[in-house]
Amino acid sequence: MASRRTTHDVAIVAMGCTPFRDHWNSSADDLLVDAVQECVGSLPDVTLGDVDAFWVGTQGSGLSGQTLARPLRLTGKPVTRVENYCATGSEALRNAAFAVASGAYDMVMATGVEKLKDSSYSGLSAVFPPADGTDVDWTAPAGFSLLAPAYQAAYGIDERQMRAAMTRVAVKNHANGARNDRAQFRRAVTAETVERSPRIAGQLGVMDCSGVSDGAAAAILVRAEDAHRYTDKPVYLRGMSFVAGSGAGLAADGYDFTTFPEVVTAAREAYEQAGVTDPATQISLAEVHDCFTPTEVVLMEDLGFSARGKAWRDILDGRYDADGALPVNTDGGLKSFGHPIGATGLRMMFECFTQLRGEAGPRQVPDARLAVAQNLGGQPGSCVAFVAVLGNER
Amino acid sequence: MPDQPGIDAYAAYLPAYALDDTRLDPTAPARAGGRARSVAGYDEDAVTMAVEALRHVAADTPAGRHLLLATTSAPYETKTSAGVVHEALGLDPGVTALDLRGHRAGASALDLVLRGVATAALADVRTTRPGAPDELAQGDAAAAFVGGGQAAVLLARAGHTTELLDRWRLPGERHDRVWDERFTAEILVAAGLDTARRALAQASLDTVDQVVVSSSNPRAAAALRKALGGTGQDATVERATGFTGVAHPGLLLADALDEAEPGQTILLLSATEGADAFVLRVGDGVRAARGGPTVRAQLAARQRLGYGRYLRWRGLLDVQGPARPAAPAPAAPPMHRRAGWKYRLEGSRCDACGRVTTPPGRVCASCGTAGSGTAPVSLRDRTARVVSVTRDHLTTMPEPEVAIVVADVDGGGRLSAYATDVAPGDVAVGMAMDPTFRRLWTTDSIHNYFWKLRPAPADAAPGKDTADGQ
Repeated sequence: MASRRTTHDVAIVAMGCTPFRDHWNSSADDLLVDAVQECVGSLPDVTLGDVDAFWVGTQGSGLSGQTLARPLRLTGKPVTRVENYCATGSEALRNAAFAVASGAYDMVMATGVEKLKDSSYSGLSAVFPPADGTDVDWTAPAGFSLLAPAYQAAYGIDERQMRAAMTRVAVKNHANGARNDRAQFRRAVTAETVERSPRIAGQLGVMDCSGVSDGAAAAILVRAEDAHRYTDKPVYLRGMSFVAGSGAGLAADGYDFTTFPEVVTAAREAYEQAGVTDPATQISLAEVHDCFTPTEVVLMEDLGFSARGKAWRDILDGRYDADGALPVNTDGGLKSFGHPIGATGLRMMFECFTQLRGEAGPRQVPDARLAVAQNLGGQPGSCVAFVAVLGNER
Repeated sequence: MPDQPGIDAYAAYLPAYALDDTRLDPTAPARAGGRARSVAGYDEDAVTMAVEALRHVAADTPAGRHLLLATTSAPYETKTSAGVVHEALGLDPGVTALDLRGHRAGASALDLVLRGVATAALADVRTTRPGAPDELAQGDAAAAFVGGGQAAVLLARAGHTTELLDRWRLPGERHDRVWDERFTAEILVAAGLDTARRALAQASLDTVDQVVVSSSNPRAAAALRKALGGTGQDATVERATGFTGVAHPGLLLADALDEAEPGQTILLLSATEGADAFVLRVGDGVRAARGGPTVRAQLAARQRLGYGRYLRWRGLLDVQGPARPAAPAPAAPPMHRRAGWKYRLEGSRCDACGRVTTPPGRVCASCGTAGSGTAPVSLRDRTARVVSVTRDHLTTMPEPEVAIVVADVDGGGRLSAYATDVAPGDVAVGMAMDPTFRRLWTTDSIHNYFWKLRPAPADAAPGKDTADGQ
């Protein structure tokens, strides 16, 4: 067995999430303090001193555990900084979960932050180690745009149909984000706006891409048996898996750019742990990594929500709309929130947490019981993937 | 060492673009003439064109010979540019890589090839100031020659050194300065005629079947062609390419060899900073001695280039690019460690499953077997088929967009690569493409060379090598 559920079940008892914005007047430190204070403040009987250990995820807004220890002036506490491409926020939560499940700590906190808007560039820019200069200087949209022509060729879908499905993803997610005060973009967009946006890479225009924003999020995790000591509405981690791809999709022939094999594996393991046998009918809602519109199309198949080659049709049929059979990205997704890398995975968790507690207000999915959070990084052919199943029952 | 001084193998390389209109104002009347110049792509320079010319003919250059790169446009001032060419060709380390500079370097390199001591590439990228009278009379090209006797044997040679202020440029300057060509023509014609006559006398010939004249001075070229009774074949090529600098005598000789019959005699005269004359008899093996397509075929395959794109490519028009950091400069140790991959496109073939991993690695990407005996396999002479493609509209290259492909190599292996010499919108899934050595970008004064993919000739069938690579 590749991975199994932890010996002790884990629950999330509190979360915080800053609005994702152009936070011109806030530093990464400020954002972390805001997210942590909201998180701790939601539990009346808990103070920061009760938290035994911390994880902070950031791709480029800090090095070491001091990224969190310094702004919060934590004294005598273990803090671990993690990085795992765009799945960094999920990685912070995953490692924190293992820490309480092991019994080493009773209460831990996972945080994530990214301060992107202090750069003058609109996209993501990572610093890589010195190299031989033979890698394509990919933009993120260029790497992900490879999905569209390959998907079309594999399933005989014409340009117009693919465009319509991609447009629907953007329109749907912005419509959801319009109902969420924490989103960076809080306005619905028309299909015309999406389709007339300036070209960025391949079939992708600006409106096929997630935004760029600043943000932070935090979660407090305890063992499930302790959860009701802190809240009446804990959210349980029912299954969780992470896969770092071998990169074979770009290093050898064979991979066809119509799927993320890393996501397929992570989803299978997480479903197995959670006892999910038919995700298409059992999952109430999903937060997925809609970094670019074709990514969400392919993910609907990789997560088992749509049959292979059918996601584009299901999307156009409204299956994943807020009032559809399986609402996806009810908070607005990366499309509406932007993508402060270290925070995104935890922002997805925050929406699952909110929905499963029935606190999502106008966005509330009726009778939400099981939610999927799916977060990925890298590019098709060479990526890292995280999938979790969360539930409001243990 | 060849038994007979002469040429064993040769190749010409013409870039894919031709410029024939230099009007800044497109509403102004067109200039008469029908003249065009050859234009290297923005990703080409003397090094990349030398590799393209040499790659089909020079792989077996024996230790002890010199590899010469003759150019007036070396990409580095002090670093030996021929070293990059040597690495890309995978030559024996006992072959000495050497740059030759100056306008006469092409004829001199050819001379050393004919003497049997060198393999040479003659390559030049030539840029005038916009609006210069000779803007369309300068061009870019490369030619390659390997010593021996298959293509032609040397019957006689003569040389004449003249100190002459003809064309010159200070370090750091971009454009040649030119002295009044009426003056220099007179000197060069006199030197050329004297040298040609001495060579013909030494060969005991009154006439030859083909006269080929190359000169940095167009007046001198015209006068010498007339005086020596040329057919004008050389002038026809020149009107389509411009004077290609150091490469020019090589380009015109390659064209003559393309068209010549075995047994015919050729007089090649280069009148630049003095004169060099060579009398050659075409060998029986001349057809097999050519690497790559003929000069005529390459001329016919070119695409027209607009003046604005030309100016931008040459850095003569400063165009706002995307808000994006420059592509990273490569670092010396990784370039050295992975020279086989970077310069020769060598992946690793797995001992266990036989599949190819790119870039090469210790562990097979397909089966996961760690193999210390993993064999390098060069993909540079194989055709690859596009698996998926995108168009990067945020490119830092001097174009509005470039196509990037993932392509599977016939016989195994996968490449992520920039497409070149093709309109981005014309690249489609399934398209056959061939590797070509290019300069990806220059950051922090480091030229970053690697392989791109360009459309394969239409007849490339699956599994067929497009070149006689090793």
